Amino acid sequence: MTPKVMIKTNKISKTVHTSQGKLQILKPISFDVKAGESVAIIGASGSGKSTLLSLLAGLDEVSEGQIALDSEAMEAMDEEQRAQLRGAKVGFIFQSFMLVQSLTAIENIMLPAEIAGHSDAKQRAERILALVGLEHRATHYPNQLSGGEQQRVAIARAFISEPKILFADEPTGNLDAANSEKIEKLLFELNQNSNTTLVLVTHDQGLADQCQRQLHMQAGELTEVFPESVIEKVS
Amino acid sequence: MNNQAFSLAWRLFRHETKRGELTIILLAIILSVASVLSLSLFSERLETALTEKSAEFIAADRVLESGKPVDLAWIEKAKEMGLNTAHQTYARSMVFANEQMDLVSLRAAGQGYPLKGTLKTADEPFKTGTATNRLPNEGEAWIESQLFQTLGVVLGDSIEVGDQVFSVTKVLTEVPDAGFSVFGGDPKVLIRKADLAATNVEGPGSRIDYSYFFTGDRGDLESFYDWLEPQLDKEIHDWDSIEDDESAIGRSVSRAGQYFLLASLLAIVLAAVSIAVAAQRYSQRHYDPVAIMKTLGAPKSMVQQIYLLQILFITTLGIVIGTILGYAIQQVVVMAVADRVDVSIDAWHWKPLIIAIFTGSICAILFSLYPLMKLFSVSPLRVLRRDLGANLSSRMLQFIASGGAIFLLMWAYSQNLKISAILFVSGITLVTALLFVTFGLIRVGRKFAQGKMGPWQLAWARISRRAMDNSVQLISFAVTIMLLLVVLVMRNDMVQQWQNQLPEGTPNYFLVNISHSQQPNLQAHFLEREVNVEKFYPVVRGRFVAVNDEKVRTSVSKEDPDERSNGRNGLGREANLTWSTELQKGSEIVAGHWFEEGITLTEAQRPFEVSIEKGIAERLRLELGDMLTFNIGSEIVNLKVTSVRDVNWQSMQPNFFFVIEPRALQNYIPTYISSFNLPGDRKSDITALMRPFANVTLIDVDARINQLRNIVDQVSVAVEFILVLVLAAGALVLIAQVQASMDERQEELAILRTLGAKGRLIRSSVVYEFIIIGVVAGVMAAASNEFSLYLLQTQVFQMPAGMHWEYWGIAPVVGAVVVGCLGAIGCWRLLSLNTSHLLRKMV
Repeated sequence: MTPKVMIKTNKISKTVHTSQGKLQILKPISFDVKAGESVAIIGASGSGKSTLLSLLAGLDEVSEGQIALDSEAMEAMDEEQRAQLRGAKVGFIFQSFMLVQSLTAIENIMLPAEIAGHSDAKQRAERILALVGLEHRATHYPNQLSGGEQQRVAIARAFISEPKILFADEPTGNLDAANSEKIEKLLFELNQNSNTTLVLVTHDQGLADQCQRQLHMQAGELTEVFPESVIEKVS
Repeated sequence: MNNQAFSLAWRLFRHETKRGELTIILLAIILSVASVLSLSLFSERLETALTEKSAEFIAADRVLESGKPVDLAWIEKAKEMGLNTAHQTYARSMVFANEQMDLVSLRAAGQGYPLKGTLKTADEPFKTGTATNRLPNEGEAWIESQLFQTLGVVLGDSIEVGDQVFSVTKVLTEVPDAGFSVFGGDPKVLIRKADLAATNVEGPGSRIDYSYFFTGDRGDLESFYDWLEPQLDKEIHDWDSIEDDESAIGRSVSRAGQYFLLASLLAIVLAAVSIAVAAQRYSQRHYDPVAIMKTLGAPKSMVQQIYLLQILFITTLGIVIGTILGYAIQQVVVMAVADRVDVSIDAWHWKPLIIAIFTGSICAILFSLYPLMKLFSVSPLRVLRRDLGANLSSRMLQFIASGGAIFLLMWAYSQNLKISAILFVSGITLVTALLFVTFGLIRVGRKFAQGKMGPWQLAWARISRRAMDNSVQLISFAVTIMLLLVVLVMRNDMVQQWQNQLPEGTPNYFLVNISHSQQPNLQAHFLEREVNVEKFYPVVRGRFVAVNDEKVRTSVSKEDPDERSNGRNGLGREANLTWSTELQKGSEIVAGHWFEEGITLTEAQRPFEVSIEKGIAERLRLELGDMLTFNIGSEIVNLKVTSVRDVNWQSMQPNFFFVIEPRALQNYIPTYISSFNLPGDRKSDITALMRPFANVTLIDVDARINQLRNIVDQVSVAVEFILVLVLAAGALVLIAQVQASMDERQEELAILRTLGAKGRLIRSSVVYEFIIIGVVAGVMAAASNEFSLYLLQTQVFQMPAGMHWEYWGIAPVVGAVVVGCLGAIGCWRLLSLNTSHLLRKMV
């Protein structure tokens, strides 16, 4: 059975208005990501990879083209609907962790489940906190945790609502080598166990190599795709 | 309400409170509630106490004055409503003794009089009296010192009042409701009300006034007045309280009341400014959590609920702590002031508490509204792009919302559109000017920021770069300094003016009826005894009989009540007429022109001129050009009104309703009025001073002046305490502002430290930046202070306005020193953290 297409894009582009006039920061791109796949978007700084991630995750609106997440077309959705879709199907991990500083580790993890209205948010959070090995740090605030621990909390938060898609923006960008390795391992383990579709942005070729597919970005264009055999060439 | 939103809001609130992240906004709300409560409660209690004390000067809380006896059912109704009542009838009558006679003010007092204040009596004329709580017995009369002199009587002698003979048993030295006009009254004779009928002075043609005194709770008094008002006839009834009193006391209390109101209004504005600053900081610090929640799928409505609930929790906590703190501060001030202000200040008032809670809530909600709207507009994209702020940005909207809220609060609180509008317009002018100054600073900053990077260059560069952020800070500093200046200068001007009313050496004795021939002897005799007699005013007595040949009513007849509505009112008594070529000190011509010296004596054909006092002109409906007819002796004198004077009745000098040009009265032999000051320790010299001048009447106003000075001193002390409270509130607001702005500088300090900049360079640059801001805020505050003071003094306080040049120097220096020191302290706290801690705080 052919896996379901989880992310479908069709000629998506992004244009911003500057004092010098219009600037197209993302040129028309089309690609699909199948359910359970792991895809790395790589490229140099300013190549447009974070812009692509923001469009795929519904954090920003496309200027042109169509995106569908789990068969739900996003281009016609307003911000509220996109937030609902993210809450129901998407998890996030960020380079700067983006934890709420005034909530403890366990409360940060509970946050998406609470927003989604799950009454067992605390039990879920305790379970997943144990999975990332931080049950002894449950009541600590983010500034009382190391960078690696904060990112593990962020990973636990991303998986608590059992998202169908996980977006990660430079997940190891703020960590040392040892911590990066641990985080990568944890991320891919959880991804495989929960059969989540993973889209991550990185400039770390080592991390990208662990993904099933890679999209190379340069100056707002998708320049290469690996392995070429398993993707459709962009028209 | 979403359960998740409530639980998240509560959790965030608990953690943020524990971690001190809500400290600034919580402190701002606590400060606003505490300052408004302490100021309002203290001023309300003090004002009540002062009014209570001042009420002694009308012998009651309220007085109903009437030209004829009122329906007894009114008095019964007042008693039913829980009020205490008393009654006194006033009549002008002649008294006779030892073949001498004098016109007196007869007071027939009923049981209970005086309801407030005390009567004082003595056993010898011109001696200091002692308080008594009783009235003369039936058949007895208590008379003032000067009557012993003019009638040649001693205690135990008899006097005749109308058809009744009374035995003089006491010297009447003080009645609480005597009024402060030295020449407004004749010597007083106090008898029992029961004796009045037998005197038969209430006959046709006599002028009788009836006063009904009331005391009780303010609410009961107001309810009674609500019931009574529709039945009153404004032509003959007058409902008075001390606040309506036009005397020096009445004006002082009323002006102090306005000052308390002003101070409380300014406290509200200070509170609003501190909440606005804190709310802006609160909003900025929550951009990340909002972006995270939105990214994790929280709908906008949920985010709104979470943060509105947070504000509600913070406001509630702030109000509770602020109320307790405000009450405590106020209680401390009450204890501190207790031994300086001789009034009971125990009364509790609910109104200040309601005002404080209302102010705290409205400030917290309205001033948080715009920062919250900005917060709600934060894009989820901020999780990827940290430089993204809020989507909503309208400084104009912010100013309109904040300005509107402040104006509404001031208006709602003061119920005084004028005072609210003056402060508001001054504020808007200041804010507009500051916006221009901010743009000027950007340009200046660019110029000064060039060259070798020293602390001054760094400071100017930061001012130039952060101009728009600094504009909010600059405005809040300037508004705070301006408000403090207004309160300080108003207090100084007001107290100064009060003290000027009664300078050392104010005459406390008046001499009346000095004959033409006695004048030089009297002056020499007094000088020999080292008593300086003031100017001699010539006086002739005349009866005012007609205006433009139309006869005026010279009395009020109870037999002919219809007469009240027909014809023009007269004075009801003989007037003291003086003449002078000089305008009296403290008087001012408000219409027409003063007599032209020289010309007046040569133009025999021209009518004689008279200058009239403004109040009497209004009361008798007299205008420039009217011809007034006086009966002086047995002759008729016609006088043309050529000027109207505003007279300072508080000056404790002889003042006159009518001043006539000298030519008109040159054929009359006057008597003279004069005054002198005799210190309290020389009171016993009076007998020796007056012995050679038996016919001269001595009026002792020492007790009056002491009463007046006492109340003015107490009001001054009260005003000073209010000033201290406002200054304390202002200082706290400044600290909160510097604290808030220091967080905004944290990022830059961290970068400079990381790049190896020396702590001294960073500290100096921050201090210089605050000094520049402090100086600019001080200059702007001084300018705005002049503008608002001019409007307040001329439009609200009815005081002379003038420039206050000294504050143009003081305000920038104080601004620089205070803001610079606060900046240095805040910077020192930040720089005491190591670089990694500083960087972690930024995350």
